[in-house]
Amino acid sequence: MVDSPAPPLVAGDAGSERHLIDRAKAGEPAACDALARRCRRGAYLLALQMLGNRDDAMDVTQDAMLRFFSTLNSFDAARRVQPWLFTIVRNQVRDLWRQRQRRPADAVGESDVLVGQLVAPQPSPEADLHRQELRRRIWRALATLTADKREIIVLRDYHDLSYSDIAEVLGIPVGTVMSRLHGARRRLRARIEEEGGRHA
Amino acid sequence: MPEPCGRTFDEALLSGYVDRALVQREGQRVRLHLESCAACRATVEDLRAMREAAMSSTFETPRDEEWSETPHTEAGRLLVGLGWPLVTAWAVLVGGYALWGSWQETDNLLERLMLLGGVTGFAMLFVGVLLDRLKAAKTDHYREVHR
Repeated sequence: MVDSPAPPLVAGDAGSERHLIDRAKAGEPAACDALARRCRRGAYLLALQMLGNRDDAMDVTQDAMLRFFSTLNSFDAARRVQPWLFTIVRNQVRDLWRQRQRRPADAVGESDVLVGQLVAPQPSPEADLHRQELRRRIWRALATLTADKREIIVLRDYHDLSYSDIAEVLGIPVGTVMSRLHGARRRLRARIEEEGGRHA
Repeated sequence: MPEPCGRTFDEALLSGYVDRALVQREGQRVRLHLESCAACRATVEDLRAMREAAMSSTFETPRDEEWSETPHTEAGRLLVGLGWPLVTAWAVLVGGYALWGSWQETDNLLERLMLLGGVTGFAMLFVGVLLDRLKAAKTDHYREVHR
């Protein structure tokens, strides 16, 4: 199954998201199922982009969803779901790394495995093929970054989170997001150029 | 202090410019600088290309069937938790009553042995499954997630 990038976590406006949460809190099965389905997808993609491994991403998503639903009753419906869910996923990912004493930077040798998670390009014009090659190089280079750099790029450039949402997920001031994000992007750009040099 | 390219603002503003996260005054400042600086223009173009490529990336995601569990609410869990013991009690009472009736109705030893064998076999299977479930429940991380 192939998913398009970064659709809203819950379709519609903030009001419909709040309505769905309220119905889920009231125990309406259809609302719970709809919420689980929509949240699970975004949570899985974030976990995959942080971990680069399908099985680990599925495990983390299951744990994150369990925590998500077990704390649903205490969730303030005035807040948005996505930053809250992503905070849970991020914490689960960090717990997993801690358990394994491993960081993304250690997974350089597995970058080909990571690239396998990207969907193969359809037959398309040359410009699209060029962009697909860039996607692969970015994904490969991303795997070599440290956790801090990787997660901020994933949140902004793969999930299109606003600076304030990123600040909430990472637990940092909004004013810090831009400088940290730029530092990570510069590093990523340098890695892509290095890789381009190696493959030239 | 100005950079060699003449930039007088923090380089991080280039990312803010790409993300359209700057206030009008900062955006104007960056725009003016980009008009005269090829190096910063190249940086902005690269950042933009990277972001567009990332945003348009697609990933394989598991099919719905691959997610074995779907979480439910506390209320749902409670109802399911109460429902199963009730159904089990009902099955034991009705089954026991039917077996007792059949036992009373016949004096034939073979028929009684068949009844006894069936009940014993069923009980052994039930206890076996129950023991497995109890053991799994202690180590299953997802035991609170219901199908």
